[in-house]
Amino acid sequence: MTPTEPLARTSAGQAAVRPPLPVKLVIAGGFGVGKTTAVGSISEIEPLTTEAAITEVAAGVDDLSHTPAKTTTTVAMDFGCITIDPTLKLYLFGTPGQERFGFMWDDIVEGAIGGLVIVDTRRLDDCYAAVDYFEHKQIPFAVAVNAFDGRTAHTLDEVRWALDVSEGVPLLVFDARERGSVRDALLVVLEQALARSGG
Amino acid sequence: MADGRTVRGAGEGDVGPVGPASAVRPFLVTAGRVAGAAGEASSGRTMPVETQLVATTGGLDALHRLSFEQHDIVAACRVPQSIAEIAARLRLHLNVVRVLAEDLRTAGQLSVHVPDAGVTHDASVLRRVIDGLRAIPDSRRVLRDTD
Repeated sequence: MTPTEPLARTSAGQAAVRPPLPVKLVIAGGFGVGKTTAVGSISEIEPLTTEAAITEVAAGVDDLSHTPAKTTTTVAMDFGCITIDPTLKLYLFGTPGQERFGFMWDDIVEGAIGGLVIVDTRRLDDCYAAVDYFEHKQIPFAVAVNAFDGRTAHTLDEVRWALDVSEGVPLLVFDARERGSVRDALLVVLEQALARSGG
Repeated sequence: MADGRTVRGAGEGDVGPVGPASAVRPFLVTAGRVAGAAGEASSGRTMPVETQLVATTGGLDALHRLSFEQHDIVAACRVPQSIAEIAARLRLHLNVVRVLAEDLRTAGQLSVHVPDAGVTHDASVLRRVIDGLRAIPDSRRVLRDTD
């Protein structure tokens, strides 16, 4: 049994209630690929949305000052949670997978126990950046092809080749609408994390 | 959401950027201060989005003296909440919540629990999560209406 006091730091003032230890998984992927659906299928709460502010540098060609035009937009980050037991709570954060959102990932991903990259085989490019990111950060992850209507446009071998993910990265087909299917995909990520932990 | 406001982007089918956020209000709330890129706790450690916030007994006692966002945060944190949950439920920017949480912590009104970074490699924690997930049944909930 694990000690139930894994929290590093309790600050001044007596907490009225002891909080659970929070752990998180990140679910990355392009827009409309099923991140929110996956979170909603397994979360014990309806997915919540918070907006992370991002600054985009537009490569404008009509800019007389030759300074890049910066625009600030906000991106929706959907998340949910699963109470494992009163002392342990799993958060699931869905984050946009495209490269231009890369710099907000550190904010969300820092401390994640693993990642699930959701892929729509009709739009593979939407997930390259997320795959690269997890590989670079050495965060355990799996790639999950969301089978819309039970079909995928490419075989898993084709997807593995196209994404150039190493053999050590699990690749699976799942259905973001099915709780059991999402659960099993998350378990694959957690088994990766466990193997990586030496446990 | 309970306040009846539309949660933009709640369905990711919408295009990603969800329109301009208030440019001024968030920084009025924090008196112009911003958290570091990933939000820094006083110790210099980052305050991840899953960091747990809990009202202290002192904070709850002082609730009637707190105003606006500070009041709302302490009140919401009677039940432990993550920074992300507070941001979503009170419609505040993540970094605004980080700044205010640090203020409230300093004032002894909020307890801030930054998870230990080592937990991601803790096999016993991972096993507990795995066991907990395995216990989740296949069936879908009746709560959802549309996809």
